[in-house]
Amino acid sequence: MAVPDEDADLVRSAIGGDDEAFAELVRRHKGTVLRRAARFARDHAELEDLGQETFLRAFRDLRSFRGDAPFGHWLSRIAVRVCYDALRKRRREEKDVSLEDLAAPVADPSTGNGPSAQFARILLEQAMSRLKPGDRLVITLFELEDRSVREVAALTGWSETRVKVRAFRARQALKRSIGGDDGR
Amino acid sequence: MDDKRHDRRDVELDRYFALARQKTPDISGVERGFETRVMARIRESREERVPWYAWAWRLVPVFLALTLLLAGWSVLYPPVHPVDPVAMLASGSQEVALLDNLTGE
Repeated sequence: MAVPDEDADLVRSAIGGDDEAFAELVRRHKGTVLRRAARFARDHAELEDLGQETFLRAFRDLRSFRGDAPFGHWLSRIAVRVCYDALRKRRREEKDVSLEDLAAPVADPSTGNGPSAQFARILLEQAMSRLKPGDRLVITLFELEDRSVREVAALTGWSETRVKVRAFRARQALKRSIGGDDGR
Repeated sequence: MDDKRHDRRDVELDRYFALARQKTPDISGVERGFETRVMARIRESREERVPWYAWAWRLVPVFLALTLLLAGWSVLYPPVHPVDPVAMLASGSQEVALLDNLTGE
């Protein structure tokens, strides 16, 4: 197995049953995984769950890691998959909640100086909660994480065309939602 | 007119995205001791044993496939009834015994 990155030895040791090696991998990559999951989690409890689920799946599938890409990239794809699954599960749970039940956009406390970062985040969070899980995943990776179409396609496993279509659709929906004309 | 409105919304949306990008999510509370909790969950999942009835359910498709295979085999290749020498001998000896009894030998 040819693992080109600096996690190579740790991955090999973890596969061999060395728990401390896997703990070190968690230590190294937890920041990246948690920052990504935080874009999708509603609170700290959900963030903890998404983070743990990512590393549990990685541990379970460690033998399937071929090593043709860095461990961090492989882990990123798992994290994206975990977040997507969480969004779909949430969507199923919230199916009975109508759009009217969702909170109306909040007023920006910093009016006069333009919207604040906090206000923008809350407003986007509310608007994005109405998107389909796949559209939300793509627009988050694309706009908030500033990833390219190719990177988003690699992370999600979808074609570049599908990513572009989803991003366009999400953007249109967000514009309608933020502009107060969400087609209700 | 409508195009202008859409342009304005695009600009507005991009501004919101740019602002939201500035705000890094706060993960400090979860990050602390995270690896300890992950390793605890891994150990916990390792200790969880699969109960026997779960295995029984997992074997249902195997047995189903086996049954279908045997049924197919018996339809394609019906059993041949060969002459059983033991049965013949057994029935033959019974007749001899009956004959002996009737003739009084």
